[in-house]
Amino acid sequence: MADAAIMPRPAPDYNEAVVRKFVIATVFWAVVAFLVGVWLATELAWPQANLGLSFINFGRLRPVHTSAAIFAFGGSALFATSFYVVQRTCRARLFGGEALADFVFWGYQFFILMAALSYVMGFSQSQEYAEPQWHLDLWLTVVWVAYAVIFIGTLMKREEPHIYVANWFYLAFILTIAVLHIGNNLALPISMFSAQAYQVTSGVQNAMIQWWYGHNAVGFFLTAGFLGMMYYFIPKAANRPVYSYRLSVVHFWSLIFMYIWAGPHHLHWTALPDWTQTLGMAFSVMLWMPSWGGMINGLMTLSGAWDKLRTDPSLRFSVTAVGFYGMSTFEGPVMSVRDVNALSHYTDWTIGHVHSGALGWVAFISFGAVYYLVPVLWKRPGLYSMRLVSWHYWIATLGIVFYITSMWVAGIMQGLMWRAYDQFGFLQYSFAESVIALHPYYVIRMFGGLLFLIGALLMVYNLIQTVRGKTSTSEQTIVMPAAVAVAGE
Amino acid sequence: MDIDPSDLIVGLMMTVFGLVGLILASGAMDNEMYVFGLSLFGFACVFDFGLLRRHFDRMEARRHG
Repeated sequence: MADAAIMPRPAPDYNEAVVRKFVIATVFWAVVAFLVGVWLATELAWPQANLGLSFINFGRLRPVHTSAAIFAFGGSALFATSFYVVQRTCRARLFGGEALADFVFWGYQFFILMAALSYVMGFSQSQEYAEPQWHLDLWLTVVWVAYAVIFIGTLMKREEPHIYVANWFYLAFILTIAVLHIGNNLALPISMFSAQAYQVTSGVQNAMIQWWYGHNAVGFFLTAGFLGMMYYFIPKAANRPVYSYRLSVVHFWSLIFMYIWAGPHHLHWTALPDWTQTLGMAFSVMLWMPSWGGMINGLMTLSGAWDKLRTDPSLRFSVTAVGFYGMSTFEGPVMSVRDVNALSHYTDWTIGHVHSGALGWVAFISFGAVYYLVPVLWKRPGLYSMRLVSWHYWIATLGIVFYITSMWVAGIMQGLMWRAYDQFGFLQYSFAESVIALHPYYVIRMFGGLLFLIGALLMVYNLIQTVRGKTSTSEQTIVMPAAVAVAGE
Repeated sequence: MDIDPSDLIVGLMMTVFGLVGLILASGAMDNEMYVFGLSLFGFACVFDFGLLRRHFDRMEARRHG
């Protein structure tokens, strides 16, 4: 009996096909999102770049960029990694069979394509990050329920007694996004045959629900899901256990309890009651602690393995991502303080803040996971070129620095110009003057975005060569750690 | 016929979605619903043919051992 207990069990036949598809989608949508972002930045610096065409003007392309970055690129990365992690940490093949997993993949890609098409055709329900009309919302709900069935079903048939912490984060992401998506998209269509619909709520109630959704899309889609990614791929790449498993559990529960209240900080100085704004501000400031709990846990996992950062640039991506996570989750609470918000709101400071999180945290942690996954999924000894990964890392980091510093300076300048009075009590600057003053910073932002895009194209080339089984002649391939043990065990 | 229950359930579900797409396109009051309805129908057809192809590929692979 004792001998049987220590006998190595054969790994189940994991469904890696769907993970591979989602990895390809991740890389594809990353390039699309960055390309559209650079184009939009060009339009902001030189408005004539919209070429006078309605379907590529800023108003229509902007949701294409945000949806491509968050839902297409980030979402595909979350689907890929959650399906990979849940199978390995539960020692179970995905629940529901191959057809259901394929439905989730193709159904999600169909949603993204249809949403992007509807934006460029001029259809939107005008709610930030929730632009798709009612019929697309219903379709996404069906796909999301199928996703939840697969994930929860796999957890339920697991052969490991313990549910690894990464799965808790993925589960929180899946369940909460379902609630947020349905809650924020309650609408009455004018006809079953029309895309037009009216929201169930209006006015400040609608704004409150929108930002309850909007901020928790950040909290549960862009934070909890990617923390799940962090908790699996950093320990695996560093070959070290999680620094403190207890801290991971404590910061998980505190994070999900506090995030859900923080939405009203998006509505400071509006018709929203003061007490609600104060509540949002207080919970946002408190959120600093659980956020940094995750950052500390991620960084300290490197204890005893810091030297790997010199030799493994893909791990460097993951660890830098955690640094950016710490930075943006400190900046967020600061910006949620009402008096700071009076200066920062509606300015490019917010854009800088969002991109330090989106590029520095979300994209970098995804790049780290993709660089880890591709050799494992395609059964290659390692990546085609570690030098190219290193080039990608430095070019992308430089791009982020250009982007966020220019937006910080632009945002603070905007805020100060808008509130400046002359000796007679009149506004000192017209709005157009503040726009003219921003021009150099918009050009720098476009340059930063271009660098980030170039880095992503290097990644695409590197991954294609890896899949084709090529090895760079100018360097020795570094073999990735074998995917044998469960992270953290 | 040895049909995977997952293939059957998802296949039938997609058939229903394809029909819904056709109905939406047939009565569409705007371009968005017309494009969505037809695309949903096309997507459902391609997905179901993919399931059929995989089913027969699997049977053939089994036959050839």
